[in-house]
Amino acid sequence: MSSLGLFPMVTFACFLSAIVIGLISTWAQAFGYMPSLELTHFSVTAWQQLFSYPGFGRSIMATLISGIGATLTALVFTFLLFAFSYHNRFWRVLDHALAPLLAVPHAAFAIGFLFLTAPSGWILRLLSPELTGFSTPPDWNVVKDVYGISLMLALVLKEVPFLILIALGALGQINVQGSLAVGRSLGYEKVQVWVKIILPQLYPKIRLALFAVLAYSLSVVDIAQILGPTTPPSLAVQVFRWFNDPDFEYRLLGAAGATLILLLVIGSIGLLYLSEVGIKWLFRSWLINGQRRSRFFLLTTLSNFFISALVGISIAVILVLLVWSFTWRWQFPDFLPGDWSFRFWGKGFLQMTDPIWNTISTGIMASLLAVFLVIGCLENEIQMQKRGRKANTTKMLWLIYLPLLIPQIAFLFGVQVSLVVLHLDGFWLSLVWSHLLFVLPYVFLSLGPVYRSYDQRITDVAVTLCRSTWRTFLRVKLPILLRPILFAIAIGFSVSVAQYLPTLFIGAGRFDTITTEAVSLASGSDRRIVSVYALLQMLTPMIVFLSAILIPRFYFHDRKGMQI
Amino acid sequence: MLQLENVQIFNAGKPLFSTLSLKIVAGEIASIMGPSGCGKSTLLSAICGNLANVFTLNGDVCLNDRSILALPMEKRRIGILFQDDLLFPHMNIAENLAFALPPELGKQERNLKIAEALEKGGLSGFEKRDPVTLSGGQRARVSLLRSLLAEPEALLLDEPFSTLDQELKDQIRSFVFETIRSMNIPALLVSHDHRDCPTGQVINLANQGS
Repeated sequence: MSSLGLFPMVTFACFLSAIVIGLISTWAQAFGYMPSLELTHFSVTAWQQLFSYPGFGRSIMATLISGIGATLTALVFTFLLFAFSYHNRFWRVLDHALAPLLAVPHAAFAIGFLFLTAPSGWILRLLSPELTGFSTPPDWNVVKDVYGISLMLALVLKEVPFLILIALGALGQINVQGSLAVGRSLGYEKVQVWVKIILPQLYPKIRLALFAVLAYSLSVVDIAQILGPTTPPSLAVQVFRWFNDPDFEYRLLGAAGATLILLLVIGSIGLLYLSEVGIKWLFRSWLINGQRRSRFFLLTTLSNFFISALVGISIAVILVLLVWSFTWRWQFPDFLPGDWSFRFWGKGFLQMTDPIWNTISTGIMASLLAVFLVIGCLENEIQMQKRGRKANTTKMLWLIYLPLLIPQIAFLFGVQVSLVVLHLDGFWLSLVWSHLLFVLPYVFLSLGPVYRSYDQRITDVAVTLCRSTWRTFLRVKLPILLRPILFAIAIGFSVSVAQYLPTLFIGAGRFDTITTEAVSLASGSDRRIVSVYALLQMLTPMIVFLSAILIPRFYFHDRKGMQI
Repeated sequence: MLQLENVQIFNAGKPLFSTLSLKIVAGEIASIMGPSGCGKSTLLSAICGNLANVFTLNGDVCLNDRSILALPMEKRRIGILFQDDLLFPHMNIAENLAFALPPELGKQERNLKIAEALEKGGLSGFEKRDPVTLSGGQRARVSLLRSLLAEPEALLLDEPFSTLDQELKDQIRSFVFETIRSMNIPALLVSHDHRDCPTGQVINLANQGS
């Protein structure tokens, strides 16, 4: 079984090669080095151009407000929800809604959010004309605002469920019930126990995920194109435009901008870490001042209200997309369309045959490869432990998180340029590889804990019975772990479906997927067809999730020990 | 005095044990025995106010002659000690103990109380230590000291010695019992091991089963 040792090497070679090559290539171009354009001297011209580019300051401002604002707000709300609503009736609603909320792709969510909050959106239609007096959509700048507030709100709504999911996993390592019992028996109210005992233990366990949220929010392109400011756009969108400019000179500017985004991410992560240290120091004595009563009555209401808003808005987002997709005619102040039609679904499917096929084939291939590599790595870890060597799981986790901590835009363009040099760009397998980079971490995070908790003694018994490690693995271990494996595949698939930048950059524009089509049509095009695209983007992963739930249920329908 | 009057706990309408009445005077450590699953720990949860929603409680629980059933857990002034020491890992030993002290004490008073408590547990100078660096017996002592610093009016012990090895068990047991007696509060201990039980009254819950 020594060949198992290859798995972590191949996996990390896969990761690191892309990131290292991509970053170096991007940095070289940021400093004016691009041999394909016969630019072989380093210079800082691109940086000078970047800093003097019209609207640069406002661009940075919108980026920081939406990125840092979204991350901090999402963290605060996540903690608020745990401290004030954990296991109350609002929480139970959230608990049921969590998986569907996470399954809605960012882009589809952003499109629905736009159709909800735009001046001609559903919310104003609900209030008009009775309350507002509007018979035509007002000329408001509520979405795509210059500060990136609406982008920030959409990010918060999408990131809170993610942080809650990660936190729920981490809470498994904290004795919540015991801490609550001890804390309360010492006279502390429930909320105080959460704030003083449980949350301080929880934070270090979700820190990496929070950094990933920060990196994502500061560098997001697809939903920033849909909800972000336009003139100037957020920095990531601006950089994306420069990269796509037919004038090659702009690519150097783009590379400098992409590098600046990376610096912003590193700086923000550093600031967040320093704030953590500062807050720890400042609140040290408050933690043990013995104050047992909480005086935050309003916060309970706020927390419950936030859960209602989160679930409510998410449902409304899906509903508005559904209504638009079946619309034929819909005048402004009307709450519902005047005429309905199936036409745009038919039209959507016809236009989307290729994108749907690309989405599914790439997603399946990337998630299968990811599961294969992850299982290999985990088996290697188990073998190492058997031989008495401890696998360094913390280091592993950092490596796994690496592609999520480095903004896509900061290295993918560099990867593309390198692939062009190697004549490897625009191949389907290159596209799969680029998706794998982002699919793999999520597959690992989803499968790892369950796989590690498998009772290895079952395998030991089975091996003594059939005398074959292979047969034991295939006939005993894999079937027992079928449910989490299929679930990990579904997660990987949904991550692949949502990929926007890798598809455009590494696919060299040759592979349209549902996501690239939906995003490129989102602003300005016919809302009816865009809604169909957004719903398709949502439905594709949902079908895979559904299969991941139903297949084991069917397969093990008469095995009580295999039901949840 | 801790008093149980005709206490009975139901799970989905079915009683866990027949009605139980019990008086524990200050300084006494009573014990409840019984195999696992007979409802011992559930009874302790009911007394300290942490009973899960699936259970219902009949009868009354009084502490120093007032009924405490209507009070939330944090208002009952009943300390509880579990199998696990449940020291808070993000705080050092002194902070763990300080967490239990009443808020009105000044800084010097707090430090003094902590030092006294540690001395009582034979742990002088352990203030700045990280809980994970302590041995199981040391942690168990800190855990008891912490629950007593909150000045509870009664103490519940939920199989507090079951995770310790035999030699340590004897040591910790006498430390716990002596400390509780010196505080002069009623205490109730549940265990499935009769060797854990001190000299107070012993009730066998299994014999009371319905």
